[in-house]
Formats: sequence, structure tokens, C-alpha cells
Amino acid sequence: MTRWHASDDLVTRYTDGSLPEPDAWSLEKHLESCGSCAARVSRAVRATAAGAVVADVRTAVLGAAPAAPARAAAPTASPALTSKARLARLLWAAGPAVRGAWPPAVLLVAVGAIALAYGGGFAGARPLLLAIAPVVPVAGVALSYGAHADPLHEIAAATPSGGLRLVLTRTTAVLAVSLPLLTLTGLLLPASGAPGAAAWLLPGLALTLASLALASYVGCRIATAVIGGGWLCAVLAPPLADPGANLTARLAAQVSRCLDGASAQGGWAVAAGLCAALLVVRRPAYDRLEQR
Amino acid sequence: MSTIRVTGLRVRHRRTLALDGVDLAFGPGVHGLLGPNGAGKTSLIRVLATVAEPDGGRVEILGEDVADRGPRGRVRRHLGYLPQEFGYYPGFTVREFVAYVAWLKEMPAAGTDAAVERAVARVGLADRIDAKVRTLSGGMVRRVGIAQAIVNDPRVLLLDEPTAGLDPEQRVEFRELLRELGATTAVIVSTHLVEDVASACTEVTLLERGRVAYRGTPAALAALGASTGARGDSPLERGYTAALGAHRAPGEVTR
Repeated sequence: MTRWHASDDLVTRYTDGSLPEPDAWSLEKHLESCGSCAARVSRAVRATAAGAVVADVRTAVLGAAPAAPARAAAPTASPALTSKARLARLLWAAGPAVRGAWPPAVLLVAVGAIALAYGGGFAGARPLLLAIAPVVPVAGVALSYGAHADPLHEIAAATPSGGLRLVLTRTTAVLAVSLPLLTLTGLLLPASGAPGAAAWLLPGLALTLASLALASYVGCRIATAVIGGGWLCAVLAPPLADPGANLTARLAAQVSRCLDGASAQGGWAVAAGLCAALLVVRRPAYDRLEQR
Repeated sequence: MSTIRVTGLRVRHRRTLALDGVDLAFGPGVHGLLGPNGAGKTSLIRVLATVAEPDGGRVEILGEDVADRGPRGRVRRHLGYLPQEFGYYPGFTVREFVAYVAWLKEMPAAGTDAAVERAVARVGLADRIDAKVRTLSGGMVRRVGIAQAIVNDPRVLLLDEPTAGLDPEQRVEFRELLRELGATTAVIVSTHLVEDVASACTEVTLLERGRVAYRGTPAALAALGASTGARGDSPLERGYTAALGAHRAPGEVTR
């Protein structure tokens, strides 16, 4: 795999510290993948003053942990295990919502909408999906972060990853699952007077960011309930309250009012931008979020 | 230099004052935090873990003021924290749980596997490392909690009631681990078991109603008990009741 090996001169200068830093870095990079050179360098280092210190530390560490398996010195894991580890890390980053009951719920919304449209012959499937879709990522956020959603919250909050960064990583995972899936579902549904399948993307993003911004004041659970509930009320309540014409048409009209046209979409874009800005300002609050 | 320095610390918990003007300094060693329920032990540990915000005073850890975001992030890399109560993801094995926390602590990926195995071995769970956490007993889960706290070889280790749920043999082993960790680390252990303090701690801090009632070595606390003839089943227990009594006596009127 490697094409070159460290010369004796290079090893000597590395061990006595006279090698220029870039060369030392290059050698260290090489040692990560070349067992024979690594063995030669460590033999050479063991002969120096630093070697004695390392030996002392090693004895102390091994003495302190007699039960520790002596695997630290063994070659690192196989490539298969590494890619498995990479996948594990991706799932860790995704957070509890994406590993838990939330993806099946998203899938249920998608499958349910298609079943309504083609199995049940319900004409209002797309408007209904567009009405519900923006709440889906908001629900994902609710299940991602905070003492109520994350059993490890108290431990995570004391780590450098805790706070806004962890929230944003998990939110990204939630959006990455829900945006394509629900937009694709919308495309498969008959239009029946409703806006395009992608019309909910900006509102979905804006409501998600609004939830995060509000959560910095009141916590994730209340924030997502207020934002998600508020949206559902705004879009579902008027058609339900109006006794006139058929419900499907009224729902489609209300969804169009909220989502269709340049001014509505522009409004959502501005809202998303404002919420993002507020979130940046509120960043410090996330370090101490949802404490008892 | 002290690893942790707390000055004038005030913490409100719900509507009561959990800590009221506490000044403390901790260096390397095992520091026992004793006190009746509600004395402020958990509040102090949570503030030191940087998860709770103080309402007043200053908290310096490793020479940095943790009220500021930047330093707080740096300090958190060197923290180990076992909360009094913690949960776990149902599907995780012991190895995954500890590795996940190592990832949260931003440990370099290359050394994580070895660090995880070492931490799990140190709490005596090497043979259960690939078992699901939910299949373990309460005492074992607590040891997993200790493993996640020490996985990054923290310079400040905060353990809230770590011996709760451990059987006597496990407690003995755990105290050995504490002594070992205390050689290089500032370990702060809250406990209501006076025996934990007697055998593992280099220093005792006794909290009562949000104030420091006593500080000293376990031996000095035991001597205090012997000299006053207070109630208790062991020298240290007598010292504990004596110190509490001495602290309460003048303050009883003002409350």
C-alpha cells in the first residue's frame, strides 16, 4: 500500500527533534499506515529520554488497570469494522428521533396519504398532506432534544457537543428524512386544486427554525407544541369552522392561501431567515436549555 | 493551584435557595460531599458540570471561568459527569453507550475504541461490554454510568450518588477505583453513605441548607465526633452529626 519507507537518517532526526515540523508531520502521517516504519521509529524513540518517560507511564497505567485488555498495542480494526463504526456515528449524530419511532410515523403519513388518494378515492389527499407536512419536522425536533425526549440529555448537556450544535445536527437529520419523503409523496398525489408538492418546504423549514428559536426561551417541548399546534389551527380551523361548500375544496383553498403564490412563499422565506437570525442570537441559551 | 474554585456561589432550585454564598476550592484527590437530603449537593455538582446556571458567584474550573461560552466548551472536554439519574437508548450495548458519550465528548476517533474498553474494564464490566444496557441490573447500569464519566480520562470527575444501587462488594471495588482516580484527578463524590467517605475520600465537605457546614479530612471529622460525644454508629457518623449540630445551633433562629 505504501510506496516509501523512512530512512534511518529521517528516523534519527525525528527522534532527536531536529526534523523540521512539516517533515515530521509527513512522517507521522506515514506511520499511521506503515507498521514496519512505526515499529522502527518507536524502537528509536524508546532509546531516548522520552522513551524512559513513556515506559514509566506505561508501567503506571498498566499497573493501575490490571483488568484492561492488552489490545491497545494491536493493529487497528479492520476496514469492515471502520465503515460499520462510521455508520454508527452517523446514527448517533442523527439523534434519538431518527433512531426511534419518528421515521415510522413519517412513513405512515406518506403511506396514509397515498392510500387515501388511491385506495379511498379521497380527492383532498394532497391539500391534507400539505397541511400536515410542515408539522412533521417540528415533531421530529420535539423528539430529538431536551430532557423529555433524550434519555441521555443530562449527560450530553455536560459535553462539548451539547447545546445548539447537537440540536442543529439532529434537526438536519430530521429534515433530511422528512423533506424528500413527503415532497415525493406529494408529487404522487392528484393535485385537486392544491399548490405544488414542494410548496410546503419553505413553511416546513420556517416552522422548524421558529420552533428552535422559541425553544431557547421555553424549551423544546412547549415550543414545538405551540408552533406545530399554531400551524395546524391556522390551516385546519377555518375550513372546519365554515359550514359552506364541501370540506375538500375549502381545505384546498385554505392551504393555497397559506402556501401558494410568490408573496406567501416570500413571506415564509423571510420568516425562516428571521428565525435563523434569532436562533444565532439565542445560541448561548442552548447551553443551559431544559434544566430542572 | 486548585482545579476548581467556587466563590460566592448562589443557586436557586425551584423557589428555594439551594446554595447560598458557597466558597470552595478543590484540587486533585477524592472529595466527599456529604449532607442531608436537600442540602445542595446535587445543585453544586450540576453547576460544576456546567449544566445548571448559577444565580450568583463565580465558578472557575481548570483556571477558566465557565460563565463564558468559549472556556465552558474547553472545560467540558475535561469533565466526567455521572448524574444522579440518567437514561440510555434502549438498543445500545455497553460499548455503544460509552463510545457514544466519548463521541459527544469529542474524543479523537482513533483512540476511542481502546479508551472505551479500558473504561468499561475499570468498572469491572469487561465481560458484559457487548450486552445491551437494558439487560443489566441497576448496579451494573450505574457502573456503565461511571464508565462513561471516566472514558475521556477527565481532569474533573463529578459523581452524584455513584454508590447508590451497588452491593457491598461492588462498593469496595468502586472505592478502590476512586482512590486510583484521585491520584491525578479532582474527584467530587456526593454520597449519603458515610462509609464511602471514610475509606475513599481525602477530604470531606459537609453541606447543610446550601451552606458549607464543615470541611476537613475524614480523620478530623471522626475526631470531632469523639470529642463531642454525638450520636452515631461509627466515629465518622458521630463526627457527621456533631458537625451538623454545631452548624445548626447558631443558625437555628435566623433559619
